[in-house]
Amino acid sequence: MAELEFERRLERLFGDAPAFSDEKAFAMAVERKLARGWTLRRMLIGAAGLVGGVVGASQLILSNFVGQVEAASEGSSRVLRAGVAEWAPRVELLSALPDGSSVVWIASGLAVLAMGFVLTRVIEEF
Amino acid sequence: MSGANTTRLANLHDVELAALAAAGDRAAFGELVRRHGSAVRGLLRRMGSPPAEADDVAQDAFLTAFERIREFRGEGAFAAWVKKIAARLYLRRLQRERRLAGLAQEAEDAAIDAHQPDAAGRIDLDEGLKSLGAAERLCVSMCYGAGLSHAETAEALNLPLGTVKSHVKRGLEKLRTRLAPAGAALEGKQGNG
Repeated sequence: MAELEFERRLERLFGDAPAFSDEKAFAMAVERKLARGWTLRRMLIGAAGLVGGVVGASQLILSNFVGQVEAASEGSSRVLRAGVAEWAPRVELLSALPDGSSVVWIASGLAVLAMGFVLTRVIEEF
Repeated sequence: MSGANTTRLANLHDVELAALAAAGDRAAFGELVRRHGSAVRGLLRRMGSPPAEADDVAQDAFLTAFERIREFRGEGAFAAWVKKIAARLYLRRLQRERRLAGLAQEAEDAAIDAHQPDAAGRIDLDEGLKSLGAAERLCVSMCYGAGLSHAETAEALNLPLGTVKSHVKRGLEKLRTRLAPAGAALEGKQGNG
């Protein structure tokens, strides 16, 4: 019983934090390190996102992805136009889009941006 | 603006501050550091760490705590959670620098002159801890200061459970004879600043 009481007393004594004259300086040092780590992390994330985007873009270009997408895009665009013409002849949205390969390039650019964004988010989460 | 924010943070509970910190609010975490920095630094010194190293490890512990803040769900006290992180970091550092085995050996040597009652010079916790062998001090501090169980301490120190229990037992015996009786010298010392 006395033993248990002594153990509780010991826990209380350990719980009493000693006072340090440089408490504020210590807290500021931790905050500085946090801020520095955060800045570095943001820079690394930004760099990783950029590199990821560039790698993604180069892979798309080098793998003849554009040609394949262009072909697929022409096919699907015909189907889409036919569908739109059938269901909403008055809607002329597609006519506002640029023709042929420029659509593919715009889509690829957007895809690269999206990939960079996704990569950045993934790195931020982990 | 900044002053108002500081006042607002100062009025929040640890759990609320931790939730803000988990959402990326570094100022909220700074408030937690201000509140509990001394407790963590104090524990590390009581474990036997030199002051400069204790502060270094304490800083690392808070940075680790910030990284892992989402794991803190408020079931226990925030200070206790960070103390555990700090104690483990300190032990890891000792292991990395191969100082842990040396400390255990020192403890065996110190245990030879362990039973020398010193009832005349009753002292406070920090002084009492200095009279323990290094491993006794580590084990007692980890169990009663960082809140680790004997088994957790044994695992962290890579020692058999029985060894940890005997270190703790010997440490407690020494402290019991050397510490001031409850309510006497310790409170007097605190009162004198």
